[in-house]
Amino acid sequence: MADAELKQKVEELIAANPVLLFMKGTPEMPRCGFSMRVVQVLDTMDVEYGAVDVLQALQPLREVTAEISDWQTFPQLYVNGELLGGADIVEEMFDSGELAEALGVEQPDAAPEAATPAQAPPLQIE
Amino acid sequence: MAADLDEIRAMIESALPGASVEVVDETGSGDHLAATVAAPQFEGLSRIDQHRLVKAAVRERFEDGTIHALSVKTASLAS
Repeated sequence: MADAELKQKVEELIAANPVLLFMKGTPEMPRCGFSMRVVQVLDTMDVEYGAVDVLQALQPLREVTAEISDWQTFPQLYVNGELLGGADIVEEMFDSGELAEALGVEQPDAAPEAATPAQAPPLQIE
Repeated sequence: MAADLDEIRAMIESALPGASVEVVDETGSGDHLAATVAAPQFEGLSRIDQHRLVKAAVRERFEDGTIHALSVKTASLAS
């Protein structure tokens, strides 16, 4: 069972932010290659988004998102209250133009900045 | 323990009859896999729901720790 208070907070965040990313680390300093890939995609779109660093409470947040969206891995991108997906889906939808459509923005000309190989920094225990 | 790629593929195929499934070991470590799945069941579903179907098919292997990561690419067979 997920923590009821945390679940309510998460639901409020999702409702209050039309574009919300749950990620490991911050947009300025992602702590996971998958989270970094989603940040890179979002940064090429002209869109404001909220970001929650799940490393503050990883396991409780997994339990909450499992109940809310049947999804336990991060990153998770929510658009207008719905879980769009993680890194794979976000990149696929970016390539196909579906992401721009979901976000209600123009498809940018530039591709996301080439991702450096996904590798955790050394000495990080996950 | 490394995952048996054929078993993972068979689990997805049996959950999604008629699907075309390819499973590869992304890192050589046997626990980070990538699956490309095209299935008739995907027609009309959002991508997240397509991915949910694939992940649900192999949930047991996540739960027993055989695989740690499965990256998924999906396509609807009908499209």
